[in-house]
Amino acid sequence: MSACALVLSLVPSFAKADEPSPAAQVQTRVEQGLVKPLADYERSTSRFSRARVPPRERRVRVTQVAASRDASGRAFMAFAVDVRFGTEWRENDLVGCAYTTSGDLFVKRGDAYRPAAFLLGKNVEPVAGVCQSAPTASA
Amino acid sequence: MLAGAALITASSLAYFDGETVPAFIVEKLPVRFETLWLASLRIHVVAALLSLPLCTVLMTRTLQRRPTWHRWMGRVAGLLVLFALVPTGIVLAFDAKGGGVVTAGFLLSAAIVAWFMVRGIAAARRRDLVSHRRAMRHVFAQMSVAVTSRALLLGLDAFGIDPALSYVVALWAPVLVSAGVAELVSSNVSNLVRFIRPIRLIQPFHLIVRIRREVSDLVVRVRARSLARPVVREGR
Repeated sequence: MSACALVLSLVPSFAKADEPSPAAQVQTRVEQGLVKPLADYERSTSRFSRARVPPRERRVRVTQVAASRDASGRAFMAFAVDVRFGTEWRENDLVGCAYTTSGDLFVKRGDAYRPAAFLLGKNVEPVAGVCQSAPTASA
Repeated sequence: MLAGAALITASSLAYFDGETVPAFIVEKLPVRFETLWLASLRIHVVAALLSLPLCTVLMTRTLQRRPTWHRWMGRVAGLLVLFALVPTGIVLAFDAKGGGVVTAGFLLSAAIVAWFMVRGIAAARRRDLVSHRRAMRHVFAQMSVAVTSRALLLGLDAFGIDPALSYVVALWAPVLVSAGVAELVSSNVSNLVRFIRPIRLIQPFHLIVRIRREVSDLVVRVRARSLARPVVREGR
């Protein structure tokens, strides 16, 4: 019995210890693919406008523990971006989803989801069916 | 004011670039009646970009001394304001961020502009230049809100004030202050003083008003220099 335990302890784990969790991967993806470009974009645009002034800080929260799948079977995880103007954080200033395989980012505007490039001033239309979990099949 | 208009022009060029969506539109979409809203926004921006500098120039003495130019440019400004700027501004007001309070602020500003523009044109047509000047000061004061409001937004942001609150303050404060200043400048300050005459504290103000009416700025400056000159000479 003790020999068996010794052998098991010597077998290497197949899970890589340094590999980040899917949620952490999505968080990094949103920070690199949305939050940072958005801050750069806001710095490059005129502030003498009626558009909202850029927040002092943004933080990303991944609001799902496990990935969901949309109607086409692609896995995604929902995220939220909180903003801080003064001292208080305002939650869910942006909500959207990130596709875990492709890294595509979508943000919710009204009832529809648009590619995150929309926030960077790109003229992109809403995409139907993204960020929506497929209904589970009943037996 | 012209510098402010130039800054607004620079930041508004993005409205006419088909490939990019300006931050203001990104923030607003989706809106009800999107086509109407976008068309109104573009017409409003063009009308404002033309009429704000036009009204600024029309307020200058240089142009007021050239009646033919003043009249024609005034007609163009009047048409732009009454048939493009105000109607589109009213459409946009109903989808203003900040809700009913901000909508009311924009509608009040539009009403002041339209009312005084019509009164100002009527006064000019009957050669009542005093009423015309007063009405146009009100129009110009409300149009200046475009600049002062944006400047105030930046100022309030510097103090870390919540953008939702600062948007309301940065609209209502300039609208009310501009209307008050326009009325104070054009109206009879002496009437105001007469109204509050019993208050002794106002007497110095009354005196200043009387002195200002008699003495031009130039005379005051020349006299100040003539007072300073012997002292400066003594210093040498």
